[in-house]
Amino acid sequence: MSDPVLEARALAKRYRRGVWALGGIDLAIPHGGITALVGPNAAGKSTLIKTWVGFERPTRGGVTVAGIDPWKDRSGALAHLGYVPQSPSLYDALTVDDHLAMAVQLRPGFDRATAAARLGQLGIPRSAPARQLSGGQQAQVALALALGTRADILLLDEPLASLDPLARREFLHVLTDAVRTDGATALLSSHIVTDVEQACDRLVVLGVGRVLLHSTVADALASHRISEAGDEPIAGGTPVATFAGPAGEALTLVQLEQPLPGGGLRAANLEEVVMGYLASARVPVADAA
Amino acid sequence: MSRLTTWVRLSFALQRWELLFMVGGSALLVAGMLWIAWQANAVVGIDPGCFGSDGGARACERLVQQFNGLYDLGTKLLDVGFGVPFGMGLVLGVPLIAREIDHGTADMAWTLSRSRVRWLAPRIVFVALVVIGLLLVIAIASDVVAQAIQPGSNLAADFTWYGRRGGLLVMRGLLALGVGVAIGAIFGRQLPALLVAIFVSIAIFTAVSLGMDRWLETDAVATPYVVELGGGKQLGQRIELADGRLVSFTELSPSGQTNIAIEADGMVYTSMDENGLVSGDPVGRMVSLVVPGDLYPTIVLRESGVLGGLALLAGGLAFLVVNRRRPY
Repeated sequence: MSDPVLEARALAKRYRRGVWALGGIDLAIPHGGITALVGPNAAGKSTLIKTWVGFERPTRGGVTVAGIDPWKDRSGALAHLGYVPQSPSLYDALTVDDHLAMAVQLRPGFDRATAAARLGQLGIPRSAPARQLSGGQQAQVALALALGTRADILLLDEPLASLDPLARREFLHVLTDAVRTDGATALLSSHIVTDVEQACDRLVVLGVGRVLLHSTVADALASHRISEAGDEPIAGGTPVATFAGPAGEALTLVQLEQPLPGGGLRAANLEEVVMGYLASARVPVADAA
Repeated sequence: MSRLTTWVRLSFALQRWELLFMVGGSALLVAGMLWIAWQANAVVGIDPGCFGSDGGARACERLVQQFNGLYDLGTKLLDVGFGVPFGMGLVLGVPLIAREIDHGTADMAWTLSRSRVRWLAPRIVFVALVVIGLLLVIAIASDVVAQAIQPGSNLAADFTWYGRRGGLLVMRGLLALGVGVAIGAIFGRQLPALLVAIFVSIAIFTAVSLGMDRWLETDAVATPYVVELGGGKQLGQRIELADGRLVSFTELSPSGQTNIAIEADGMVYTSMDENGLVSGDPVGRMVSLVVPGDLYPTIVLRESGVLGGLALLAGGLAFLVVNRRRPY
């Protein structure tokens, strides 16, 4: 693996009220593609991203962005970063064009023409005040601002959470297109697995402040199967966790120890892989079975 | 479009309503001051003799009444002008950072800009220029109205309405602005920040005022107890002892020798005990501490320097806080 562009080493973060958001995680995101950072609410996704952005100071351990510690050299780290916050964070009174003009003033090298062209393709009125835009359009403006920085790393903190399905799809389409065209690296956090399944190359499952799984999406799908056979022994695989399926049936996620699955196992989809790992963080496998 | 016009346009758009309110309010105040000055000058111009030493003549009564009405209005406007720098500084200063945090725009802005100082500096400079511009106009208008309702005096060497007119208004506005920006940065919420900033401003300005008065004592001269101030600023009374030392009555009391001489109307009086009897020889004479009027420009410059220094400190604190705090 090439040098990671985003790295966390033994990263722990405790907030003032004493709650641990991250419990000492090690994570290295390689260059290129889109990595989904998936986990339930309060898993520590936002905290992790905000630590990379330099908004949160690690309680223990550290993080780097392109090898730079954002707490020691914020300016250096931000030079590599484009950031899309959870809510679009636009200025109500400013038009879309004003936002682009402001970005030009704030960020040397901001690519206003490309950002404007992207928004034009989406039919977003550039002369409209931000408050008149829909949630999806505001998210697209926020994405255009991040992409306009020409940063080689994009951090997207649950930008899809408040969007309708169509807006989510459009957002992901623009993101994947831009990342593939520019050769950037994107980390997209979400608690909705189906949203990111199509767009992402890699998957990080975060639960209760720990990294539960980090792999490519292809490997995650290839190396896991689902058993619907209750607590029967599984040949050729190790149970990860048992969780409830859509109809309430008990499903066990099995990590394969060899390429070909044993009998009675079916292919897992990405949501089941994530569910299995999240369940593993909640309840020991033996107890669940 | 040049960077300068973009900067002005965006900075204005981000605080449009506060700025319009301040520009409108300042225009009204200045218009009021200039109208009073114009009217007062016109009344005095009808018969300047009515406003000299023989102004009590019966023929002057109507003019003097008219003038007194304008004088009252003029002093009220000067009082309003006294409060304007505080209001302007806080109303424009508090939201500068607090609103960005309150409305969640800071996290986008602080990541778009590689440096938070680079983000904040142009914003503060714009608002500071607006405050300076508006308060400068008010300062000039306040001097004009003060001169009009105090005809014949040289207000450049006169402490009358000290702090309610002239350049001090600008410096007070800048200090209030700095305090507002700093408190807004610390709290990150507009309303609590505004309330705290009002409280802190009052505390700072009271402390500065008391401190400056103490400093002024070093410039004051002892004059007879009853004295024509002639533009000077009276700081209070002291007792001049036989050896030339100046002490307050409180400092004198423990000695038990509180009989002092008071000169007035060409006579010398001595204090008495509760029985109306003179109690021994006077230990000193009552004097007034007065800062001569010709020191007015120096004192204004001195206080401006103190206020400007504090404004810079408050601004520096705002930069420090913004550089370290979370954008939420």
